[in-house]
Amino acid sequence: MHNKKEFSLVQVLDKNRALAMLIIAVLFFWLHPGARNFMTVYNVTTILKGASLSGICAVGFTLIFILGQLDLSIGSVLMLSGMLTIGLQPQLGWTLSTIVGVLSGVVVGIVNGLLVSKVKINSFIVTLGTMIVVRGLMHLYCDGGAKSVDDFAVADWLEMPVLGVFTPLALITIGIVLLFAFILTSTRYGRGFFMVGGNAETAWLAGLNRDRYIIVGFIICDGLAAFGGSLFAMSLASSTANAILGAKTLMQVIAAVIIGGTLMTGGKGSIIKSFIAVLFLITVNNGFGCFGFGFEVQIFVNGIILALVVLYEAYTVFRRDLLRGQRPYLLEELEKNRT
Amino acid sequence: MNDINNLNALEAGESQRFRKQERNVLLRIYEFLGIYVIAVILLVVGFFVNTSFFTPENFLNILRNIALLGIASCGMAFVVYIGKWCDLSLPSYMALSGTVAIACLPFGFVPALICGILAGMAIGALNGLVVGWLNANPILWTLAVVYFMEGFMRFTWSNTQIYPDQVLESRGLDTTAAEHFLAIFQTDVLSIPLIVIVMLLMFVLCHLVLTRTKFGLFAKYVGSSLEAAKSSGINVKLIVLYTFLATAFCASIAGIFITSLNKLGVFYLGQGYDFKSVTAVVIGGMMQSGGRGSMVGVFGGVLVIGLLTNIMNFIGINTFQQDIVTGTIFILVVGFHQYQLRSQGKDYA
Repeated sequence: MHNKKEFSLVQVLDKNRALAMLIIAVLFFWLHPGARNFMTVYNVTTILKGASLSGICAVGFTLIFILGQLDLSIGSVLMLSGMLTIGLQPQLGWTLSTIVGVLSGVVVGIVNGLLVSKVKINSFIVTLGTMIVVRGLMHLYCDGGAKSVDDFAVADWLEMPVLGVFTPLALITIGIVLLFAFILTSTRYGRGFFMVGGNAETAWLAGLNRDRYIIVGFIICDGLAAFGGSLFAMSLASSTANAILGAKTLMQVIAAVIIGGTLMTGGKGSIIKSFIAVLFLITVNNGFGCFGFGFEVQIFVNGIILALVVLYEAYTVFRRDLLRGQRPYLLEELEKNRT
Repeated sequence: MNDINNLNALEAGESQRFRKQERNVLLRIYEFLGIYVIAVILLVVGFFVNTSFFTPENFLNILRNIALLGIASCGMAFVVYIGKWCDLSLPSYMALSGTVAIACLPFGFVPALICGILAGMAIGALNGLVVGWLNANPILWTLAVVYFMEGFMRFTWSNTQIYPDQVLESRGLDTTAAEHFLAIFQTDVLSIPLIVIVMLLMFVLCHLVLTRTKFGLFAKYVGSSLEAAKSSGINVKLIVLYTFLATAFCASIAGIFITSLNKLGVFYLGQGYDFKSVTAVVIGGMMQSGGRGSMVGVFGGVLVIGLLTNIMNFIGINTFQQDIVTGTIFILVVGFHQYQLRSQGKDYA
């Protein structure tokens, strides 16, 4: 009886809260007379472009969260990869230098995965260590300075509008999001991620190799972060050793993944919702920029949104814990039988 | 009662058997001394690296360099000890306490310091209430607080830095309080820097709090198993609140020192100390699973980081490239610690 799914507006809204928030934000800024240039072609293009780096990183990060792990090293990885892409471009050309950049991320992912799964150190500690090491490697490569190239052809191509408001940068991002969302939800291997994250013991009994899933998860996460960093550096045609970019991206990605409804304990989550949440955060920042507010208001609002979402999640768990061991549906059945 | 005694005896016998199985002397030394083994190795390395390593001035220098990190790590250790992972809002405590202290300088020197520490502890209380009562995820909640507080501080002081002497001069007041405030970091007591004395006192105090008080024992229970502590009648929510208050108190003191060092109050003070202090705490043997390790170990962790930095400075390695060595040693030490715990049958760290 209690298994029957009832239609409840609150539940539907909760499940699609990222989408609901995005729609509300877009409508608010669109209809508000203060932000008149919000719904222009140029501005929407900017929002989609801005969501590229965090969007690509959020894909891998959602995967890691679904596995019940945490990866703090993506901020450093994306900066190292961007630096390698720009630094090696004069010798190797764009394609090879991008491949080298992504490979650097893959190597970091393998190291993370092996340390987490085989040496059995907590992923928080492992990735904290690799974050420090990779940041040092980046500084070793660029000597703490900046690198840039004179070849702007690729950067121009990446930012040229193709389909209305979509630039190749946005199209690549959306393509990656859709591809990994398809793999995660519709293939047998992808469904395994949910099982390993939800209950590792059952997954082991069902014949899934937990260690291999964790290693693959870290490789995908760090590889995608490296690819995102390469694309970002390519679209700027330069890269600086400023640690703020990595730290801010990491924080934005964590916030987006939580708003998108992925559980930190693992076993539940959606890549598309994470991407929508990234779009939402970028839209809010952009909208407050259109109002003419400074960065302080943007970061303040981001903090409040994340705090509210964390509080809401904590409150639902709190409510569920209060009801643990009780069977409310039995009372309902009794009521029904009496009448 | 008798049963419990039997059980204890059984456990003691069990662990003794584990000890006997381990014939490896090195492992047993490591078990006893912990991170100080690495500190001794580093001292030996330092002896060969440079002749001026073993001088009182150099050791004072090392202590002065690690003092800020040490005070911050003292605070972080509380949160790690009760198994709440980490407190990413540590930089917010530091920045807010220092900036509020500067803004309150017109009320006098000592009231300003008290106001600064109270401001930091107010955020600590907020964190403690949310994490304790609602059982929110500490990493995510404190991350949200970092965002929130950065926006708040940028907004309140309109994106600018505030200077102690200007705060006083703009009101036409005497600037002696500002001079006192700026001198905190430089003050020497009996030719030992004040900040080093404060750090050592903080470590002694925190060690006593964790080992000799009811709060410390309860914190160990909560860290070892939150559910069991709750079932045995400990007020877990209150312990979590006290823990976050202790963290905020230590971080606020560090914040006042870092503000005095930088001679200005601004929102970005203390950035980076969140992960740095977690590194020091974890390298010192306090694991994220909670209820394990001690303040002595944390001091060892801070000391190892200080010695490592000092030796690398003598060799002539760039500040940024020191990250590679520090990070590698961090992973190696934690991995070895984990291996050693697992060989004792404690595989839940």
